[in-house]
Amino acid sequence: MTCDETRDTLSAYLDEALAPDERSLVDAHLAGCAECRRELEALRGMVALLQRVEPARAPVGFVDRVVAAARPRPWYRRAADAVLLPFSVKLPLEVTAMVMVGLLAVYLFERNPELQQAAREVAPRQEPAAPAKEKPPERLADKTPPPPVPYTPPSSEAPARAPGERDRADASRSQEVTAPPPGVDSPAPPAVPAPPAVSAPSVASAPPPIAPSPPEAKPQAKSEAGPSENVAGAARPEAEGRQRVLPPSTDSAGAAASSARLALRRGLPPADVVARVAVKDRDAAERELAALIARLGGSVTQRRREDETTVVEAVIPQPRYAEFAESVGRIGSWRLEAERPDLPAQIHVILRLQ
Amino acid sequence: MTYQHRVFGVALRMLGNRAEAEDVAQEAFVRAHRAIGEFRGDAKLSTWLYAITSRLCLNRLASGERRLASHGEDALLRLSDAGPRPDAALERRELETALGRAIAELPEDRRIVVVLRDLEGLSYEEIAQVLELELGTVRSRLHRARADLKEKLERFLP
Repeated sequence: MTCDETRDTLSAYLDEALAPDERSLVDAHLAGCAECRRELEALRGMVALLQRVEPARAPVGFVDRVVAAARPRPWYRRAADAVLLPFSVKLPLEVTAMVMVGLLAVYLFERNPELQQAAREVAPRQEPAAPAKEKPPERLADKTPPPPVPYTPPSSEAPARAPGERDRADASRSQEVTAPPPGVDSPAPPAVPAPPAVSAPSVASAPPPIAPSPPEAKPQAKSEAGPSENVAGAARPEAEGRQRVLPPSTDSAGAAASSARLALRRGLPPADVVARVAVKDRDAAERELAALIARLGGSVTQRRREDETTVVEAVIPQPRYAEFAESVGRIGSWRLEAERPDLPAQIHVILRLQ
Repeated sequence: MTYQHRVFGVALRMLGNRAEAEDVAQEAFVRAHRAIGEFRGDAKLSTWLYAITSRLCLNRLASGERRLASHGEDALLRLSDAGPRPDAALERRELETALGRAIAELPEDRRIVVVLRDLEGLSYEEIAQVLELELGTVRSRLHRARADLKEKLERFLP
């Protein structure tokens, strides 16, 4: 063991912190090295000096100050701590809250027909260019739906009327469309939901598997409507009236597609054809109809029995539609209430058996 | 609160300033109070307190944001009379001042080791635990610290 190596161990040697074999090596070196022995004694003196240092004493009042500092913090400080959560906790909480509020808003909107009504009324008036067909004809089959308010393009007359008046006029126009022909012995029930505005233009332009509402329907509608509506709705030709009620048909194909998309998203199919079928036996007719639809490769999407009406919603492939119309004519006396001019590949049909 | 003087003593030797030492010692106790749940029963409470205090002192020394350390401050260090020879009062005060300054001039990582060992009486193992160091590191740092001090205080040594 050299002197340098020995001196590095002297501190631990003094503290008796050396392993026995190491210690005996140091002992052996020290026995023959006066320099290192002197070094050891100096170090021992140094340690002795350090150990004479009196322990420091904390100042008077130190404990009191520590106790005061360690005292539970006042409630408002702790509340602040609770509010100021770390980001890793706070952020997910906030995101979850926002998502839930959003879902709640959608849910309430879906549940509340008045809200949807309000949205439908407000939206097109703010953007007259938006085609009305983008509004899906939802809740078509609801028992008590709000009367759909068809889109009214800006006309010289429209701004002059009060909103309430306009609604009633629109309603009368809807009835105009759905009014029964004089030959069919079923009064036009005001409660029956009007067909969606989407399908209405076809009434005028539909090819005649079934004739559109005959003009004789007009007087009836007029008689139901108030005098002011007579001025508004009946004073002009029927075609013009429809033109006002319905969106311009120039982009009807695109609008139909978007309507279908919208409807798909919302789970509510848009109706391409709405018709009423007068039958003797609703149950039998319903069965026949189901068989017919199945035979034509279509499918019944919904069936609902009401007091006087059985509503059947179905999808018919477009190539078989003519056959379908013909066959339905044999099941009962059917009257077309609305038909889209450009029928899609899968025609969504709503039939009311009465 | 039997540890108050020890915690304060470590802070005082490390920082060389009473006011600053009291700051750090107080913070050490407050932290220990708040984190008492983290205290592992297998360690001595004193070791745990020394660890908190040492860390606070070293952090403060490393941060550079400290008030001017006053080396010449009075009564930072007192020697007991129980020496190998009775010192004259003047010589003793001179020795106390020189020792205080020599300790203050040690590099911080060596200073903390010699303070814990020779002033506070911790074992090598305890120091290793407090400072989270290898035993060999404790040994070599302690030896260098003592050698440094011995050189500076040679004239006071027998």
